[in-house]
Amino acid sequence: MKGLMLKDLYMSAKYCRAFLIIVFVFLAVSFFGDENVFFIIYPTMIASIIPVTLISYDERDKWNQYSGTLPYSKAQIVSSKYITGLLFGGSVFILSVLAAAVRMTLKNSFSWDALLMTAVFLLALGVIGPTLLLPFVFKFGAEKGRIAFYVMVGLLCSVGAVLAGIGFNVGLPSDSISLSVIIILASVLLYALSWRLSILFYQKREL
Amino acid sequence: MNALEIRNLTKNYDGFKLDNLNLTLPCGCIMGLIGENGAGKSTTIKLILDMINRDGGTITIMGKDNRENILLTKQDIGVVLDEVGIPECLTAKQVGKIMKSTFENWDDAVFDSYLKRLSIAPNKAFKEFSRGMKMKLGIAVALSHNPKLLILDEATSGLDPVVRDEVVEMFSEFTRDETHSVLISSHIVSDLEKICDYIAFLHKGKLLLCEEKDILLEQYGLLQCSEKELSELDSEAVKGKKISPYGVQALVLRDKVPANMNVIPVSIEELFIFMVKESV
Repeated sequence: MKGLMLKDLYMSAKYCRAFLIIVFVFLAVSFFGDENVFFIIYPTMIASIIPVTLISYDERDKWNQYSGTLPYSKAQIVSSKYITGLLFGGSVFILSVLAAAVRMTLKNSFSWDALLMTAVFLLALGVIGPTLLLPFVFKFGAEKGRIAFYVMVGLLCSVGAVLAGIGFNVGLPSDSISLSVIIILASVLLYALSWRLSILFYQKREL
Repeated sequence: MNALEIRNLTKNYDGFKLDNLNLTLPCGCIMGLIGENGAGKSTTIKLILDMINRDGGTITIMGKDNRENILLTKQDIGVVLDEVGIPECLTAKQVGKIMKSTFENWDDAVFDSYLKRLSIAPNKAFKEFSRGMKMKLGIAVALSHNPKLLILDEATSGLDPVVRDEVVEMFSEFTRDETHSVLISSHIVSDLEKICDYIAFLHKGKLLLCEEKDILLEQYGLLQCSEKELSELDSEAVKGKKISPYGVQALVLRDKVPANMNVIPVSIEELFIFMVKESV
């Protein structure tokens, strides 16, 4: 799988430079600028969906067919994208949390509780994009997969709105530690489930 | 040992069926898979490489079922597809590094020698290459990990005659080692005629014939005659005919035609066209 990872790194260096610049600009703005949540969460969210961009390029260049002729299993091909997502998303997540910690310290507002909640919030938002998007992309291809993803997000939002309308409450704990543990476990579980589902979808897909 | 054995291979799609395909490629030989666009050549190659699921039949590569540890088998197979499939932003040098981490037997020295021999710039992005150059890089990659079987899907189409000749010569060179074999598909029959030991004709998912090229050229011939002369021949002798105001041109089995008739040699391309028209 090393060859697949190396290929993704070369492609990221070429195609995702703009992403990486945006990531650092946003981190800098979140660090020095006003406290705007968007600048804090956006870098992690876009870094974690870099694999989807790479899959679009793979399809354009017919790499998805060529990789089928190489000694790689479909599980390895899928896994390389999830690992690439973890590498990019994880690195930017760590940088974002560090930036938040330094910012809090400089403003004399540091608290472990607040930092933990920021980290958990970032983790959940970083995981949700690739977790929901990648299975669709591996099942239908990058373009159709994106459309299917938007349809599903629309449906989920509608269901959420209806549930909220009827007063449904999932009953999440109010203390930050318990809430964080639940969100971390849910994020890890969802990412793992999405990974497995993508492998199953891709194994059935005929290239 | 046979490099490739295909038995009763079947694959169904909406509007197309690869129907009970049987092929045998002995080691040390080159087999040309000839067929018009949509005849089932690429489907066959994808099935051999287990890229798509078959609906029936068996495929054996170098004595092993192709579903049994296919990743290990693929270490010994070099593949060039019609569209090559190398990402456009990569340079040949980067492709070499990726393939070194992909193939256990990858040989940097061999790859570098192919880059030099084929005049491929090592630091130029793939997207800047001409189609011929792209194909050459695909071939250099396919040959640089000591493969035993080369599978080439339309690898010569779209190339200019000089590059085609160069590439065809490389495949011929490859099979000088008798453990090496090549399966090459193309609709440009003249390329295959030059280098192939075996010829297989595919038409609309069905195998029309699979035979040694020299035997085909010995068995079949072209007869130029009148319609009356043709009607006097044994019907089994005539495998195809083309009627024009100037007479009849017929594809015939040489040993079923009287010795006094002037049967001229047939090319593989003419043989294919006659057979496809006859099968319609």
